[in-house]
Amino acid sequence: MAKAIRTVKTIVKDISEPLAGIKVLVLEDEDQWDLPPFRPGAHIDLHLGKKLVRTYSLCNAPHENSRYVLGVKKEDLGRGGSRFIHEGLEVGGRIDVSLPRGGMDFDQENMNIFVAGGIGITPFVSAIRHMENQSRANYVLYWSSNGPASIPEMIRPAIDAGRVHISDTRHDPFPDYAAIVSAHGQHSKVFCCGPEPMLRAFEQAVSSWPTERVHIERFSIAKPDIAGSDDTFKVVLSRSGREAVVEPGANIVHMLEELDADISFSCEGGICGACRTPWIEGPPVHNDRVLTPAEREKDVIVCVAGCAGPRLVLDA
Amino acid sequence: MTRTDSKDQFQGGVAWQGTVCFLHRTPRAFLPMRSFESLNLIAGRGIEGDRYLIENEAGFYSHKPEEGRQVTLFEMESLEAIMRDYAIELRPEEHRRNITVRGVPLNHLVFQRFRVGACLLEATRLSTPCRHIEEILGKPVFDPMIHRSGLNCRIIEGGEVRVGDIVRPC
Repeated sequence: MAKAIRTVKTIVKDISEPLAGIKVLVLEDEDQWDLPPFRPGAHIDLHLGKKLVRTYSLCNAPHENSRYVLGVKKEDLGRGGSRFIHEGLEVGGRIDVSLPRGGMDFDQENMNIFVAGGIGITPFVSAIRHMENQSRANYVLYWSSNGPASIPEMIRPAIDAGRVHISDTRHDPFPDYAAIVSAHGQHSKVFCCGPEPMLRAFEQAVSSWPTERVHIERFSIAKPDIAGSDDTFKVVLSRSGREAVVEPGANIVHMLEELDADISFSCEGGICGACRTPWIEGPPVHNDRVLTPAEREKDVIVCVAGCAGPRLVLDA
Repeated sequence: MTRTDSKDQFQGGVAWQGTVCFLHRTPRAFLPMRSFESLNLIAGRGIEGDRYLIENEAGFYSHKPEEGRQVTLFEMESLEAIMRDYAIELRPEEHRRNITVRGVPLNHLVFQRFRVGACLLEATRLSTPCRHIEEILGKPVFDPMIHRSGLNCRIIEGGEVRVGDIVRPC
């Protein structure tokens, strides 16, 4: 069964290596059509191969909407995504990406304090470019690395304007996060991205801060707001025997597509009825807006369904 | 709208005449819609350069072939109603239909034929809202678009459609 297109097709327009172990990719549409818009600090998933999906921040300014720029550090001990990008990706290659997600909401009046560790600079590049494009000076960046800064040219206007503090922890003191976040007034908003130990240290430094003034960038995936169930359950296709575990907040449509379920999806919002399917075991949690109570005794609108029991068995 | 006995203007008991306000297309799923002053409609196939052109098939729903989805229309009045009722600005390039019209009762035209400029269209079904648009826009427009999500049409007679063209019954 043909599957829905779930990704944006791009081609690798350029690859550069401004520092050993750091590659900068430029992705574009094959016809230079605009790409889906994104917010400052947003990130995308790169579909690098079957089951090889990795998330990276977008480094260009959001108003540059005909390309996506990414900075990728090679992690030799990582899970393989950055090695593939560094060793297997070539200019002209095709790569599917997700729609951009996430982003940063800045304080309009007070200071925005960006704290980056190493390649954790990447979400702040689009943020800084956005701020500079808007002629806004109410931000400061503290960027520490265990070595030379990786992609300083991408934020050169901010560096030249004196809004960036760069440190090399091989010879500079380790950043004092408590001092940094308290240096710009109690109404500042703080943002942090970097390796996990750094994030933990930073979280400790801002543990007494109101949560709305703290943004920790961990590439978390926003849960869809149409989640069918608060509990894990298993969806089973009775005719093929194929099954999958549906975690809370997971998109059941994507999972059923992965199982090659013979179910047609359309609106994915519970109103068009295209995915109406008989159910055998459940009972389903019905979140649709089209079936009558009597119809729900036999059928379920799968795209928005949850399950009150451990197994949702579909006659499909 | 006013009643008339004019044969050319009479359809379903009510006369109407509308205008093409905006034209949009995009070559592939998820990519932003781009505005054009004219579009080339190809009879029996779709819009030149659009994602749902038959044999191009690069749209989000292209895995579900549909002969009657060659061109899609949306009402300006619906954009204004969504702003009025939900305080959501949905711009003409955001509803992801091809032709934005004013003064055309789209929901009443299913199975009917009508002209857009020199082109002849046949309405096949109402469009339904989908989560896909919310995913792209990041705006909660699924509920606001229920019952006013536009019209899917087959192209009977093709040609160039331009902004400002008259839309009328036939």
